[in-house]
Amino acid sequence: MSSAASTPAFRIERSTRTSWIGLVLAIAIVVLLVSVPWWGGEDDLRLIVEICYTIALAQLWNLLAGYAGLVSVGQQAFVGLGGYALFGLTILAGVPPLPAIVLAGVIAALIAVPTALIVFRLRGAYFAIGTWVIAEVYSEVMGLIRDLGAGTGMSLPVAISRHVGETRFDREASLYYVGLVIGIGTVAVVFAWLRSRQGLALTAIRDSETAAGSVGINNDRTKYAVYLLAALVTGMIGALIYLEKLRISPDSAFDVIDWTADIIFIVVIGGIGSIEGPFLGALVFFALRYFLADYGAWYMILLGAVAVVIMLLAPRGLWGLVADRFDIHFFPVRRRVRLE
Amino acid sequence: MAPLLSLEHVSKNFGALKVIDDLSLSLDAGEALGILGPNGAGKTTLFNLIAGDLPVGAGAIRFAGEDVTGLPAYIRCRRGIGRTYQIPHPFGNMSVFENVLAGAAFGATRREAESYERCIDLLRLTNLLGKANLPAGKLTLLERKRLELARALATDPKMLLLDEIAGGLTDTECQLLIETIRAVHRSGVSIVWIEHVVHALIAVVGRLFVINFGQKLADGEPRAVMESPQVQEVYMGIEER
Repeated sequence: MSSAASTPAFRIERSTRTSWIGLVLAIAIVVLLVSVPWWGGEDDLRLIVEICYTIALAQLWNLLAGYAGLVSVGQQAFVGLGGYALFGLTILAGVPPLPAIVLAGVIAALIAVPTALIVFRLRGAYFAIGTWVIAEVYSEVMGLIRDLGAGTGMSLPVAISRHVGETRFDREASLYYVGLVIGIGTVAVVFAWLRSRQGLALTAIRDSETAAGSVGINNDRTKYAVYLLAALVTGMIGALIYLEKLRISPDSAFDVIDWTADIIFIVVIGGIGSIEGPFLGALVFFALRYFLADYGAWYMILLGAVAVVIMLLAPRGLWGLVADRFDIHFFPVRRRVRLE
Repeated sequence: MAPLLSLEHVSKNFGALKVIDDLSLSLDAGEALGILGPNGAGKTTLFNLIAGDLPVGAGAIRFAGEDVTGLPAYIRCRRGIGRTYQIPHPFGNMSVFENVLAGAAFGATRREAESYERCIDLLRLTNLLGKANLPAGKLTLLERKRLELARALATDPKMLLLDEIAGGLTDTECQLLIETIRAVHRSGVSIVWIEHVVHALIAVVGRLFVINFGQKLADGEPRAVMESPQVQEVYMGIEER
């Protein structure tokens, strides 16, 4: 329609005041993190790496479940495949460990292509169960590979870990920076993805799949892209984890509690469907673990109880409460119209 | 000239129930067609078949010279079939502006930044510009219906399927809606409009198509169709405002 009057003057804003504060804060935190190897100990480095990859896994799961509606209970498949790819590439193919991390991600993504063909035929709860079953299948398959230790697993030869650094501290510091890059890189990629045209499609699908199709959005391809991205980065994370642990076995590499259930806990209590939520969830998770580490089984019971209470009282997680009350967004993915 | 849209012997069953029964229908480019029929006659199902939200049981659907029978909804949208839903399906957590933007960016496959101006124009046309930044889930029912219209128009349709968007409007609002749809029609978009508010329908369309039990009951010039005995019989008891 060509209406007689012309379009009113307008501007599209993509940032908020809190997002600028957030940016300054983020830069300060990154600078601080980069300096840790100069003043921190090995334990500090290990803990920060763990926090980094946990937040990365949570961001990816949030992208899958919170946006694409793909409630996967099988992301441990790609942690395990990434870990095993690293062992295979370094031990059997002689690839240096750091490039092997990237290649492990690529391998995980390649395996995700046929995996998606199977699990994408399933919907809702069946999808969740299907992804879990497939992860178990990959675990069994890895347990058959004799060169990689079969069912009992194997250790990474010292000669290979030497590639990462001569001294123990050098190795920890190198892996620390890899973990930092993966953690920050994942958040940056997820943020950029959600701000882009892809993100517009993804949020539309989250809100109504039917309507998304009717406005020309290719739902399957949009979800497929997210699934492959998650597999790629999860595979790299798996490789990093087992390069640090120096020992792999099917039971630990494909562990549903460590690599998926804990992550779901973090995303759900933090706030599903936002970038801020997984950060908040990870904070709560690590705090609970720190204070309750000595109580054994009570720790798991309390973790479950916290999750249930938050799900009942705040279905959109802790960040949902904050965002509703104060309307703050550190990672603005919205487009605001400002008429002039 | 070949028609813009043609349905050839289309049928659709839900279990044992025949919802659309060997129905044929054609629409020329530039036409405005009204669809009438009692509740449960299969009108919305017909739209779902045309837009690709449901697969046909039998028959073929052609649009703009192409057989679209097997194409998914998103491709049909990109080919130029825009639709609104009788029960609005807003993207509830996205802003009103982003709802329309999604239509412009994917249905019309424009670059995002090139769509902004078009979206602003459409929001003004549908009187939603003041609510552009509100989450669509916070809109009232009537505003949601206008959003359906704006979002469908953003996809640059050749043909617009309107499913009961005039229900519940006051006379003034209804008059505004009629003006809006006329303007859309004048700009070259073909219209297929399901509506119970007959006077609004007749103010816009040049042809009426009446279905009952999934079959064609009448098809032709609106006044003649409304006065035909079969339609009178089916519509006994349904008052004309």
